[in-house]
Amino acid sequence: MSAGLDVHDFVVVSNESVADGLMRIVFRAPELASAIAPGQFVNIHVPGDASQILRVPLSFSCADAAAGTVEIVYAVVGDGTRRLSEMAAGETSTAVGPCGNPWPFVEGAHRACIVAGGVGITPVVACARMLASAGVAFDAVVGAQTVGKLWGTDVLEALGACTVVVTTDDGTAGRAGFTTDALAGLLAAGDYDVVYTCGPEVMMAGVARLCHEAGIACRVSMERMMCCGFGACGTCNVAMVDGTYKSCCKDGPVFDAEEVAW
Amino acid sequence: MVEQSMAENSVSMAVDLGGVRMQNPVNTASGTFAFGSVFEDFFDVSRLGAITLKGCSAEPWPGNPAPRMCEVPSGMMNTVGLANPGVAGMAEQYGDYLAGLEERGCRVIVQAAGHSVEEYVAAVELIEELCPWASGVEMNISCPNIARGGALVGGTPESAAEVVRAVRPRVKRPLLVKMAPVRVPEIARACEAEGADALSLINTINGMSIDVRTRRSRLSKPTGGVSGPAIHAIAVRMVWEAAQAVKIPINGMGGIASWRDAAEMILAGATSVTVGTANFYDPTCAADVVDGLASWAAEQGVTDINELIGAFEC
Repeated sequence: MSAGLDVHDFVVVSNESVADGLMRIVFRAPELASAIAPGQFVNIHVPGDASQILRVPLSFSCADAAAGTVEIVYAVVGDGTRRLSEMAAGETSTAVGPCGNPWPFVEGAHRACIVAGGVGITPVVACARMLASAGVAFDAVVGAQTVGKLWGTDVLEALGACTVVVTTDDGTAGRAGFTTDALAGLLAAGDYDVVYTCGPEVMMAGVARLCHEAGIACRVSMERMMCCGFGACGTCNVAMVDGTYKSCCKDGPVFDAEEVAW
Repeated sequence: MVEQSMAENSVSMAVDLGGVRMQNPVNTASGTFAFGSVFEDFFDVSRLGAITLKGCSAEPWPGNPAPRMCEVPSGMMNTVGLANPGVAGMAEQYGDYLAGLEERGCRVIVQAAGHSVEEYVAAVELIEELCPWASGVEMNISCPNIARGGALVGGTPESAAEVVRAVRPRVKRPLLVKMAPVRVPEIARACEAEGADALSLINTINGMSIDVRTRRSRLSKPTGGVSGPAIHAIAVRMVWEAAQAVKIPINGMGGIASWRDAAEMILAGATSVTVGTANFYDPTCAADVVDGLASWAAEQGVTDINELIGAFEC
């Protein structure tokens, strides 16, 4: 059993665009907001199309137990997220959660680096909140295709990130190139105990390789197509280096990068 | 709530699924309910008539690579590939919970999977040895037979009869056969003739979904099983055909997402009704179906739910 796992009613507080193709929804669901921890996710029913039966699994960026709210920055990529983007303040639905396991807090860690690519910024911002509240110093690398799709650097700065390095594929903001290019430099100079990352799988594979070479612990938040989010359907398998599969929703979504078969 | 509990009290909901004596007709489909325990977070699983466990083989199976699922209109497709920890792994990890669930009043049906007659025999022998707490064994004959080029083990009356004949004497408890949704009346009769105690149908219907940009399957295999409300009307028809063809009871499933869907199945001839894909997106669905069926039966003016089995009027 997972603490607080249930079907939670929620009411939309706000839902607005924060960058090209990126929306931020804040909904009120007090029990969920109290129970959920950085790195976990929710599985949301988006009303409006009875022919789309499955929920939409989404990571969150901020859970405010005092206000009873959960904030999710999400990319509009399919019909489900498009309909989610049309939900207005006051509308209601349900979320299954908390799903999965939190970002593990690495014992004795003093300095961390967090690396986000695209909408992977969402659980990385939640990770930054965890590190900030634990007093762990951290640097951040945030990558996007282009400046218009960038979100979250100001949030990370406000949370006390020592350095925030921005990369864009087209060079319209920060350094031209990928997050891994920037991370390689930071790893050479910094003395990190752990790297946390979420983004496209090819990016995370690159981050994992750099961390492996540098001998630094790396935790990755994986994404899979899935149905339930709580271990019933068996569809969200992640291949491990030992030849087995693990469940993204029950065993993850956060894995030790050394265990994942990239 | 008051009306509901009155209805539950006034109608006898117990059914006998070929010797599996259920407190109510509601069951869960193999592969949609894991081994039951994960649903305890959402509701008291012992309220159900039965649960059917994820199919287990004699040896653990890793299953297929990702992606194993995709969404289709009013349904989904999967190619999980019967990933499972093996009978022994399942019994070790979940045996105590499942024995307790039986004590709490919910019947546990263990599902056996295999790729050949020998593998089914090995699976049921392990189940007999390691799962003394189970009330029934369901044999899933919708698996591909490796020795026959991947043709379904239960794809013809002859091949279905062969595997049921081999397994039947080794299963001391009620034996359910989970049929593929093909040649339903003939295969149903073949399984009955070989001593099956009940038939479970329908399994998923084989389908395809192609990403037109990449020209690739949206699954890691070319085809996958379609499930969910999209297949419900087909399932009701097949349950009705099976119920006409045999005397043994039918465990009806296919797109049941509400008490109405379950009631349809009962009228078509199902003794028990099994919630599958809906468990994924509406985790309390099976419990809600228990309540809804009791109210429906009371509204229909019967004192025993059994009076409604096959009560469809043409």
